[in-house]
Amino acid sequence: MKFLLARQALILAALSLLPGVGQAIYFRDKISWRSPIPPSEMVSVDQARQWADSAIWIDARPDNEFAGDHVPGAISLNEDRWNELLPQFLAAWSPGKKVVVYCSAQSCDLAREVAERLRKEAQLPDVFVLEGGWEAWLKKNR
Amino acid sequence: MKETSNIESPGNDASFGVGRSAFDVRRFVWRILDFIIAAIFIYAGVLKAFDPVQLAHDIDHYKILPWTIGVGLAFYLPWLEIFCGLALVFRLFYRGALSILSALVVVFLVATIAAKARGLDITCGCFGHASQNWSFPAHLALDLGILAALCALCFCSVARARAGTSPTPTS
Repeated sequence: MKFLLARQALILAALSLLPGVGQAIYFRDKISWRSPIPPSEMVSVDQARQWADSAIWIDARPDNEFAGDHVPGAISLNEDRWNELLPQFLAAWSPGKKVVVYCSAQSCDLAREVAERLRKEAQLPDVFVLEGGWEAWLKKNR
Repeated sequence: MKETSNIESPGNDASFGVGRSAFDVRRFVWRILDFIIAAIFIYAGVLKAFDPVQLAHDIDHYKILPWTIGVGLAFYLPWLEIFCGLALVFRLFYRGALSILSALVVVFLVATIAAKARGLDITCGCFGHASQNWSFPAHLALDLGILAALCALCFCSVARARAGTSPTPTS
């Protein structure tokens, strides 16, 4: 009976793989397997620096980390004090400017969440997440 | 060992008519429960299969698995739920489907409780956006209800198999 049950479960598990693989191929451009952020919404440190004055840098880390050190000219905008900090950021932003959001490292979610809120709540276009975050910026600027 | 038989003998006692009727009603009730559980999983699977990107993010919110594995599961789990639901409807690979679905619900329950214990604000994504605003107790109640139903179906299936192999099957 146990063998029969395992065989049935295995067949169902294998059958489910087929459409799953098909769907993964179909959605290959819409989701990255390496990071929760789609490649089209990420920007490298080098590319972001080339944008120079046409970009605003947003530090999505908590206040104490921002106070410790941050990208020169960056504005603090984190989810803890969202309602308080958003107007300050919007005052500095102007149409046509790109927004580069970063948090501490590649693995952190804060930048992605802030970028998503900026797109959805503030309706801002051209919001990008910095690849590698603050760590990557530090490496390139040592 | 004989394969699971879905056909049970009502017995050959004097009150055959009454026994047969009770047998039919009971079988009908179990079948309805099959359909309800199947419908829940097929519905949940179809909703999630339409938006695997959102499901990958929902899985990621639990902070248990690496992103890559979460993406793989986001493509795989909805179809597993759909196929298992269909297996319950058509009674093909019936016990295999029941065991997979039970395991899925247990894993989901553990993950939800673990996430809550770590203070994570999660959306389960079980029914796509429909379940986004469900409270933690609502999630738990639904999952425990489904798990109880799956366990009942498992026991019923085992009991039927035993009755089927018994020399004097009873209704």
